[in-house]
Amino acid sequence: MDFGRADRLPTGGVPLGTPTAPNYPPAGYPAVPGAPGAGLQPPRRPAPIPVKTVIAGGFGVGKTTFVGAVSEIQPLTTEAVMTSLSEGIDDLSAVRGKTTTTVAMDFGRITVDDQLILYLFGTPGQSRFWFMWDDISRGSVGAVVLVDLRRIDDCFGPIDYFEDRRVPFVVAVNNFPGTDRFADADIRDALALRPDCPLLRMDARDARSCLATLILLVEHALARTTAA
Amino acid sequence: MTYPGSDGGRVVPAYALTRGRTRSVGRDLPLETLVTATGPGLSRQSGLQAERRMIVEMCVGPMSVAEIAAHLRIPLGVARVLVSDLASGGYLTVHLPHQTGDERPGVAILERLLDGLRAR
Repeated sequence: MDFGRADRLPTGGVPLGTPTAPNYPPAGYPAVPGAPGAGLQPPRRPAPIPVKTVIAGGFGVGKTTFVGAVSEIQPLTTEAVMTSLSEGIDDLSAVRGKTTTTVAMDFGRITVDDQLILYLFGTPGQSRFWFMWDDISRGSVGAVVLVDLRRIDDCFGPIDYFEDRRVPFVVAVNNFPGTDRFADADIRDALALRPDCPLLRMDARDARSCLATLILLVEHALARTTAA
Repeated sequence: MTYPGSDGGRVVPAYALTRGRTRSVGRDLPLETLVTATGPGLSRQSGLQAERRMIVEMCVGPMSVAEIAAHLRIPLGVARVLVSDLASGGYLTVHLPHQTGDERPGVAILERLLDGLRAR
């Protein structure tokens, strides 16, 4: 079956134990319980370790695109309690073509090695969803704050949030049309970024670019951990 | 087998699956907590109620609590309770993040993560 979005689940008849996603199940795990060779023994593998990062930013800035570009599974959505709240509230004026909002949290997954599994959680950007951010950012490696320079105000909330809680973060300026004329120094100024906070230009549609952003984040988190 | 909600609606409300409990058990499981089925769990799962059985079947490879919630289209809180119940019953093994509470992953994990991402 396709372990994709919940709304694309098949209507029945396909057992859940037969995923066909290319990287699922990870190497070494039997595809189907009881399949030839699989037996009913637990897989003899090292215990898996979960880690996570937060992908934050304003509405329509590209969080879901980012997650989708690097995730090995189709981005999933968990049901949020406040699903319909943002209807009619989100400002869509600068986000041409985006007609619906996903208030629920999108997330993806990268199997880093045979033991380490990285989850990327895209968080609803508005401050009224900060109750979800606590859940997501606690224990995380850190956060990527995605910025749309046409609507720079949207990222003040996330930046304040992560600074207050001492969550390591990098600022990733998503290359929307017409945003390349701003100098990095001016962006740092406008966002009141601390000198040690990394900033990069990237394209959330491009997997390599998203991967480079995640690498920068882990480097930054590592530097902060070893300096502490 | 039919997925909950895939045939036009869930017959049993999500919270009935946990008999109304959303707070007492499993509340503190981080949403990235990984879950794997145990050998005995895989051989005994056929006697379970549908959602619980699907969780055990799905966890042949490591699955996060968040993925379980998304695949079964149940709220995170419900998934946490079901996972916690199944772990108590010996069906699942729960793999928590190495750090606890507000701590962040340590140097060893971060270095490994960095190596893994750079190698991609």
